[in-house]
Amino acid sequence: MINCELVKYLVENHNDLLAPPISGRVEDIGIMFATRNDAMSLDNESAESTGQAGQAGQKADEFWNDLMNIEAISPGCLSFANSADLSRQHATIDYVDVETLEIMHNCVVPGSFQRHSTRIEQNSSKPGNSANSSSWSCRLHSILESHAADTPNQQTLDRLNQALSLKPASYLLGRERARKFTRHASFIPICGNKNHCSVLSSIAAISSNKVVAMDMNKVHAAEQDCPGLLKCAQSKIHYISNLKPQTDASLGDCSYLDTCHKLNSCRYVHYLQYLPESLAQATAINVAQTNEASASKRHMCLYTQGLNCSVASAPTLPAQWIQCDVRKFDFNILGKFSVVVADPAWNIRMNLPYGTCNDSELTDLPLDLLQQEGILFLWVTGRAIEVGKSSLQKWGYHVCNEISWIKTNQLGRTIVTGRTGHWLNHSKEHLLVGVKGSPRWLNRQSDVDLIVSASRETSRKPDELYGMIERLVGPHARKLEVFGRDHNTRPGWFTIGNQLNGDRICEIDVKMKYNTYLQKQRSQSVPRYSTLA
Amino acid sequence: MTRLTMYSDHTPLKNAAEGSKKRRNNSLKPAAQPHSNDYTEHYVHTCLPPQKFVKNSENQVEGYPNLQKLFRLKEKHVARHATKPYGCRVNIDEMCSTLNGWIYKHKLVFDVVMIGCLTDNQFIYPLLTSLPIDKLISKPGFLFIWGSAQKINELTKLLQNDGWAKKFRKSEELVFIPVDKSSPFYPGLDNNDEALFEKMQWHCWMCITGTVRRATDGHLIHCNVDTDLNIESENLQNSAIPAHLYKIAENFSTATRRLHIIPARTGTETPVRVRPGWVIMSPDVILNNFDSAKYQEEISKLGTHLPTRSEIEVLRPKSPTQKKAT
Repeated sequence: MINCELVKYLVENHNDLLAPPISGRVEDIGIMFATRNDAMSLDNESAESTGQAGQAGQKADEFWNDLMNIEAISPGCLSFANSADLSRQHATIDYVDVETLEIMHNCVVPGSFQRHSTRIEQNSSKPGNSANSSSWSCRLHSILESHAADTPNQQTLDRLNQALSLKPASYLLGRERARKFTRHASFIPICGNKNHCSVLSSIAAISSNKVVAMDMNKVHAAEQDCPGLLKCAQSKIHYISNLKPQTDASLGDCSYLDTCHKLNSCRYVHYLQYLPESLAQATAINVAQTNEASASKRHMCLYTQGLNCSVASAPTLPAQWIQCDVRKFDFNILGKFSVVVADPAWNIRMNLPYGTCNDSELTDLPLDLLQQEGILFLWVTGRAIEVGKSSLQKWGYHVCNEISWIKTNQLGRTIVTGRTGHWLNHSKEHLLVGVKGSPRWLNRQSDVDLIVSASRETSRKPDELYGMIERLVGPHARKLEVFGRDHNTRPGWFTIGNQLNGDRICEIDVKMKYNTYLQKQRSQSVPRYSTLA
Repeated sequence: MTRLTMYSDHTPLKNAAEGSKKRRNNSLKPAAQPHSNDYTEHYVHTCLPPQKFVKNSENQVEGYPNLQKLFRLKEKHVARHATKPYGCRVNIDEMCSTLNGWIYKHKLVFDVVMIGCLTDNQFIYPLLTSLPIDKLISKPGFLFIWGSAQKINELTKLLQNDGWAKKFRKSEELVFIPVDKSSPFYPGLDNNDEALFEKMQWHCWMCITGTVRRATDGHLIHCNVDTDLNIESENLQNSAIPAHLYKIAENFSTATRRLHIIPARTGTETPVRVRPGWVIMSPDVILNNFDSAKYQEEISKLGTHLPTRSEIEVLRPKSPTQKKAT
């Protein structure tokens, strides 16, 4: 229960209570409040005082609970100086948010603080007012006593920052659900200690570009010069330099590392990954157990906002795909999707090892047919960043995020060599995220707008994106990938593209529409050729 | 892919019993299969952002001795031919008139102009549209505009405006990433409720005006020295602008006339430091010593571009020489 009297008291006396000699000490405020009530009940002046106010003295416990109640109703309306350990004996209030408290009081006793603003004006227009002189001196005191960080401006700023950084419950619940639903994967840290790597490199036995053995006795012996080596070798990944007769270590690392095609003649340094089998196994067992435990918890998901109601038990659709020329395909066959991912082969005026499409071929795609409301992920590069943005606009989307994929090499470093861009080297790729309509079924912000992942074959994008999308829309939302290849097909996803193998469709309505489309095409093409002939 | 991982999860369980025996003999026996980490999944479970695991954040060119040497040489070369640091403290609403004075009264031009810094409260679009920015920048010249991804996205309007698009070509988009959420460069305010993914990056447009060719204009520009990505390193000096943002511009263009305009209040906690070779205009810059006459005198002594240095020419990445057409 909210103690209205206390709220009113705090509003009316906040200046005096925060100023010396009380200086906001909760104990003293409690006494002040109690004695004030005594005085009121003796004078029999208060018409509106409740039964509570009539009591002779209010216990400190009760007073503290009332304060906590008020603070809980609107977090931040009372700020405590030593909030780190909120022990009741030493607590001091250093700020009272008068406006919030007034609103709070108005909710209970409507109209009680209506004329507040005009009252201030009246007061300030008469500085000579004797009733005010004490508060003026208080103010002067507080200015003299405070340093720059405690000025009202800084306090207001802190409070605003606090309010802005306060995450809503949907965010917290969403994060928690993402954590519960995402399967754990083995995570093994990579050692960054150069000394460890060079010592282990000298010990490792390498044969045909593989670490075949690591001598325990030698590692033990090296432990004396390099304490902690053994433990590190057993718990982290190390990169062992793969020195060959032609290697010239002074040249530094190969730009291609494990993807180098000239391993037998390249003079730069290459590396081999070393981790003990025991570590890999222990981690895998650990992860399998964690996953099994969390799988049982997943059946009792209570926060189902935006999800299929039988999210835990409903099976995911198997992978579906259609091989087709996307530029000529009838998108009406596919129906509507929650998410569309497109990785078009933009013509960025470079000689690429695959065919590219013209801007107009891409921007004229009827992608607006695929979603009534939903998310479109569009991979772009170079000048296509701007073309992509304007296409998104044209299709009815608005760019709400830009994801960067930070491409890493074998050693987990960003790619900085190889003239990968025209003016500067390119270490990242852009993924535009467009949103259409106002989808309220999304689980927002369970991931950051970055992917750190190794680059693979030309134009192959990181698989991490699929996990991010699943957390965003749930496992059963319809998901489409346009311009996909075989490695992109996966359960829960529909993939179309010209490099796929044949087709597989499980959704009956799509299958029917696709068959009619094929029949129509056949029947159309026959007369056309016959007239030509 | 998912099916594959499912199976691989189960196999170790089966082998575990056999494995434990062998393990005691040699716990360092190398694993047969390579391992790769999924940092996105790791973030969901641990809240450690993926960029924390990038191994060369402290030294981008780690492992490349020639590139390291190039960076050192360039840094020295730039420092040797730099004007003294200039600051020009101007309120945001007076920036335009001050710059117009520089353009029309003092006939000042700059070859490198950087606009903006890593704060949310910038007035970039209004500044760009109210300023004859093409008169402030020489031809060829280079313009770097830094801001939140949202602010930079708004600039797309400029490209749709013919006047702007004719004068400037957007040539690269750079990204700066804070190391985690406690970083002073974490763009917290950019994360409105609408964002689908938590925003962790700052963007920059690199624009070119006039004509430069990367194959033949080595006296004006050095291409492919830096990359379009920078991750905050832990040992940064407290400042409104990470020094790396200046270095990208210094490494790219050989010009000595460099101007940085910050159309934002940055406060006292993240000071706007001055930097040799740059004129920095900001309402909060710590030094206010700019004098256009003195600056022009210094530039005339220094020259408008760095002299070519053979050691750098040998090391810097160059376009492959074109075979003569027969």
